[in-house]
Amino acid sequence: MDNFIQIKDVAKTYWSNDGKIETKVVLPLSMTIGEGEMVMFLGPSGCGKTTLMRIVGGLETPDQGTIHLHGDLLTGPDRRRGMVFQSYSSYPWLTVRDNIKFGTRYRKDISAQEKEEVTDHYLNMVGLKRYADFYTNRISGGMRQRVAIARTLASSPDVLLMDEPFGALDAQTREYLQFQLMDINKAEKKTTIFVTHDVEEAILLANRIVIFSSRPARVVREIKVDDILSIEDRRNGTADMDRFFKLRAEILELIRAEYAHTLEEA
Amino acid sequence: MFKSLFAFRKPLNRRTDLVLGITGFILFLTMWEITVRSGVIRPEFLPSPVAVVQAFVNLFVERNFASDIVISVSRVWFAFLLSVIIAIPLGLLMSTYRFAGAILEPFVDFVRYLPVPALVPLLVIWFGVGETSKIAVLWMGTFFQLILMISDDTKRVPVEFVESGQTLGASNGQIMRHIIIPAALPNMIDSLRITMGWCWTYLIVAEIVAANSGIGHVIWSLRRFVKTPEVMAGIITIGIIGLLTDQAFRYAHTRLFSYLRR
Repeated sequence: MDNFIQIKDVAKTYWSNDGKIETKVVLPLSMTIGEGEMVMFLGPSGCGKTTLMRIVGGLETPDQGTIHLHGDLLTGPDRRRGMVFQSYSSYPWLTVRDNIKFGTRYRKDISAQEKEEVTDHYLNMVGLKRYADFYTNRISGGMRQRVAIARTLASSPDVLLMDEPFGALDAQTREYLQFQLMDINKAEKKTTIFVTHDVEEAILLANRIVIFSSRPARVVREIKVDDILSIEDRRNGTADMDRFFKLRAEILELIRAEYAHTLEEA
Repeated sequence: MFKSLFAFRKPLNRRTDLVLGITGFILFLTMWEITVRSGVIRPEFLPSPVAVVQAFVNLFVERNFASDIVISVSRVWFAFLLSVIIAIPLGLLMSTYRFAGAILEPFVDFVRYLPVPALVPLLVIWFGVGETSKIAVLWMGTFFQLILMISDDTKRVPVEFVESGQTLGASNGQIMRHIIIPAALPNMIDSLRITMGWCWTYLIVAEIVAANSGIGHVIWSLRRFVKTPEVMAGIITIGIIGLLTDQAFRYAHTRLFSYLRR
């Protein structure tokens, strides 16, 4: 299904507190995302890519335009779109396992027994079985982010929304989790919107990269990474490095040009 | 050993903490005793620690002080719980719905700044000199502080906790019960502990004005006979009760919220 998510003419403007200064965050923008597709939103910081993703998640209301998921018009947030945040959103009063189980708490499609099984499944998938009974402020930032990802997957959303989920992590942990996410994606084929400003991360994980302009966000370029570097090659580390660096340079140049606009405006 | 005492911004072990805490008291008592023995201050004004301890015992034996303590503690807890059961729901409401905050916050802020002792005459006119006016004094002193503290505690729950709940399919009521309250609870318990301390402050105000029982009454009536040791013993009693209550709250806090320890 090619138009699994349909974003149509979505626009958003923020007003300053006194209501005098308007900042257009997202210009009327349309886009479709296919089922099972991993789309990376890439762009200069503050460009409105996170806002657009939050609109898809129902956490922000657009001033105009509509979002359809599987043909259904979306309004507020619900379980169909799970979100992983940049900051650690695992609950400190619950153990690792109970955090993941919390993802199943509001599901009515499975039994209590199945909820336990789902919890164990994702606990194993993110490699935290050994830490099941730990409270989350006694595990590292990378582990906490794995808890948040597992919790979101356990809620079985149709769409996974990830807001720079690895942004606060050190380089080694980030790389480890990127590969773990590729494994998860291979197993689950979950439709994902992933916001990042890390070009290499985008190339590594994406089926498609959407590059945004500086604020207000409009699409500067879309790149189907699959056509340039196969996902298997990227996963196995056998990707053609010349192509990889050429693509990286091309994207960096686009973003650099957009970032320059940001500075001019300021 | 000595060097570890001065480790910059590092915690000490529990035993050292306890020993140092007791040392503080002993130092204070020693200086007090030395001052009295030096004869600089007349004993009517500053009796020796031994005299105070003697007076403390006398209060129990001769004046049935234990029943005054029970009365004071009951007043404090009754007023405190009355504050808590009203302030928690209202505080949650204020932090959740902007309209409730908009209505209540300015008013609460206004009342909060009224000095409680200044309200005593009014409360006596309204409620007489019985128990009701005393509870009212304590309640006025704690409720309006607590409601804002509870509201702030819940406002400080990270927005990601709430939003992750929304995207996991929780309803607003479920987010309140399953996420906001558990997340805010440690800070809320701390707010209760602090408010409890204020309750004891206002107890004396309440019991000095028109009371015939309670620790404050005992202190105030013995003052007329310049029974300085007994007055000091009464004050120290409040200190001890306060210290014990505070420690009980802290103990409960570490037991209930062991997950906060790193």
